[in-house]
Amino acid sequence: MPKDILSSNFFELFELPVSYDVDLNKVQQHYMALQKEVHPDKYTGATDQEKRLSMQQTSWINEAQATLKDPVARATYLLKLKGVDINLENETTMDAGFLMQQLEVRERLENIKQENDPLDSLEQMSKELKSASDDMMKSFAQAYEAGEIDESREWIRKLQFMHKAIKQINTLSADLEDELMG
Amino acid sequence: MALIQIAEPGQSTTAHQHRLAVGIDLGTTNSLVATVRSGEVDTLPDVDGSHLLPSVVHYGKDEVHVGLTAQQYSVSDPWNTIVSVKRFMGRGADDISAKDEHYSYSFAETDSSVPRIKTRSGDVSAVEVSAEILKNLKQRAVKTLGDDLSGAVITVPAYFDDAQRQATKDAARLAEINVLRLLNEPTAAAVAYGLDTGNEGVIAVYDLGGGTFDISILRLNKGVFEVLATGGNSSLGGDDFDFVITQWIIEQAGFSNIDDPAFSRLIMQHARSAKEALAEHDAVSINIDAENGSWQGSLDRDKLNELLTPLVKKTLMSCRRALRDADIDIEEIREVVMVGGSTRTLIVREMVAEFFQCEPLTSIDPDKVVATGAALQADVLAGNKPDDEMLLLDVIPLSLGIETMGGLVEKIIHRNTAIPVAKAQEFTTYKDGQTAMAVHVLQGERELVSDCRSLARFELRGFPPQVAGAARIRVTFQVDADGLLIVSAQEENSGIEASVDVKPSYGLSDNEIETMLRDSIEHAEDDMHTRTLREQQVEADRVIEALDSAIASDGDQLLSEDETEQINKARQVLVETKSGSDVDAIEQAIKQLEVACEAYVARRMNTNIKTAMQGHSIEEYAPEQSLDAKAAEAKVEE
Repeated sequence: MPKDILSSNFFELFELPVSYDVDLNKVQQHYMALQKEVHPDKYTGATDQEKRLSMQQTSWINEAQATLKDPVARATYLLKLKGVDINLENETTMDAGFLMQQLEVRERLENIKQENDPLDSLEQMSKELKSASDDMMKSFAQAYEAGEIDESREWIRKLQFMHKAIKQINTLSADLEDELMG
Repeated sequence: MALIQIAEPGQSTTAHQHRLAVGIDLGTTNSLVATVRSGEVDTLPDVDGSHLLPSVVHYGKDEVHVGLTAQQYSVSDPWNTIVSVKRFMGRGADDISAKDEHYSYSFAETDSSVPRIKTRSGDVSAVEVSAEILKNLKQRAVKTLGDDLSGAVITVPAYFDDAQRQATKDAARLAEINVLRLLNEPTAAAVAYGLDTGNEGVIAVYDLGGGTFDISILRLNKGVFEVLATGGNSSLGGDDFDFVITQWIIEQAGFSNIDDPAFSRLIMQHARSAKEALAEHDAVSINIDAENGSWQGSLDRDKLNELLTPLVKKTLMSCRRALRDADIDIEEIREVVMVGGSTRTLIVREMVAEFFQCEPLTSIDPDKVVATGAALQADVLAGNKPDDEMLLLDVIPLSLGIETMGGLVEKIIHRNTAIPVAKAQEFTTYKDGQTAMAVHVLQGERELVSDCRSLARFELRGFPPQVAGAARIRVTFQVDADGLLIVSAQEENSGIEASVDVKPSYGLSDNEIETMLRDSIEHAEDDMHTRTLREQQVEADRVIEALDSAIASDGDQLLSEDETEQINKARQVLVETKSGSDVDAIEQAIKQLEVACEAYVARRMNTNIKTAMQGHSIEEYAPEQSLDAKAAEAKVEE
């Protein structure tokens, strides 16, 4: 168990090297072991102060697990550890070609219900975006391991766009399926 | 209190006192209470031997009836007989929809946002009605087990939102029950089932009760129950089955005067009986004979299935979404556990089996499985099983967010995030010179404020005027292990803060609860005296027991004859006083005995620590030391 949960970073918490590649089984194992120590259920008879501490620690462990499990969140966190904040909104400079592609995706999604087989189209789009985003992940990992901070940051910003689009597709598919079922 | 501390490290002092903790399934149709006794978990019956308590409350002229007695009034006095009240927990007046009009009782016109039901004993809220049910179960437990309750785990549908959870906790407070934890019903069922079979892997719990539907996907691994995703519908259940069958009967029979609540409740009862009978028979005859109309007809299983299929399909949609959220393929589901009385309906079992491609498990009584799981968790939380490896990791069912410009919702915590959780997000001002900001807290999946549930509003005021976009307002959402939310906001440049325990929108205010509690206490002062007396007597027994066991182990080595005599004297006084009924005298006698033992206790502790450290390396104690260090750090922070 790490010395102090609240001052450990997410990698230290699960005794992992700070890297894009993580062993998710190990994350899960450490997650379970830590939960057994700090979860509020273990402190029902404790003082209010201990209860509060248990809640803070468990919240931190939960956030750590969620962050390391999600590739984009993990990548963003890696840069955060290097003191780089991704989400500065006043930075809008971005690869124009990429932005055009994104706009096209958005437009197609807006009109997807008019297509012949919208569910099928959505599945196709989702597959394409996922495979493109997997490639971007690899590019990010390479840039990050090589210490190219600006480049890795650029990849994450693109990945965030991709992620949003994939999420939107999932929501749309769910809505459409419900309509068909309903 | 000093006496309890004289244990050998690593050993318990005296026989650990078993704390009476129960699990309560507060259901739409029926409620149950269960507890663990000498390692066995049982639901507790009432004096007539029946385990299920119908969740029905009747407000009579002079008294309130709960359960079967109340149910007997549902046809003769429908206006004052409240059924399915769980549907209205945490709901606002605006939520009472046309669908709810088939309940015979009527809602009072009030300016309050909390709907109140008209009864002859005045208007009552859903929280108060639920508290009556809880009080009844509490009494049942205390009577059966002969001891006072130290706490209860109360189950709620996993899909309950924050307002509904708060309302449930309020009801418990009103019934004077200490809530150890609000536990999601499917999780409770998984505990009962998982511990029963020792299964590992991913399972689905399909829970269709009287008024709510829940689906949960869980991973079981070495005593840890990890909820991966949960979904459902908090206003869909067996009551809706009864409703569509009732509508069908009305249509077939051509009844027109169904405004009479007694008549419509009679038809509803026929509908329910027909549904239940069709679980065993292919067709049933229905025979309605009343002043308002008569009808003879029959309903067969095919027709029933046709009526119910659209409702069951709705539940399967939620299942699909939960699987997607959990990122689990249907093939990965090892078992499907069926919970809730409505899963007895055959079409439900058939469609669930087809959807999950496996035969659903129905081995545990679907009515009792939730209370059973809750009792197991209550036993752990009460500290009766200090070495228990069981642990439940749950998630929040619906996303939480705040309103931003344009009536849109910005999500701060997404649904199916593991709890407890704390998340912060920064927002800024919209206009130059803005010095206040309204925080509107919402729950739900939709993008528009108007499609989500409003949980609370509060304002952050008095931060210094700055140009638009310069202020930095950090909004923090914290959800505890019960799934309840606290929101705070801080303007970071100035440090101005505001926070709110999310609750007042649809619950009772703290003041209302206090008043109600005070009223009930004033009427029950005698009860109070009996209770405090009993508490002091238990405390006296505990102190004597601890002392006896200490003296037996090292009294002859650590005490002089004179000291032994002093202690025995004080002990004798306590033994004599505790059989009387003077609470203060008993308390005094305990104190006297503690004073007499002071030196002895200190001597024992020193000896024990020395003995404990011999033959042990310091590392063995390191974890505890670091824990203490952490506790100390936290104190400094405050």
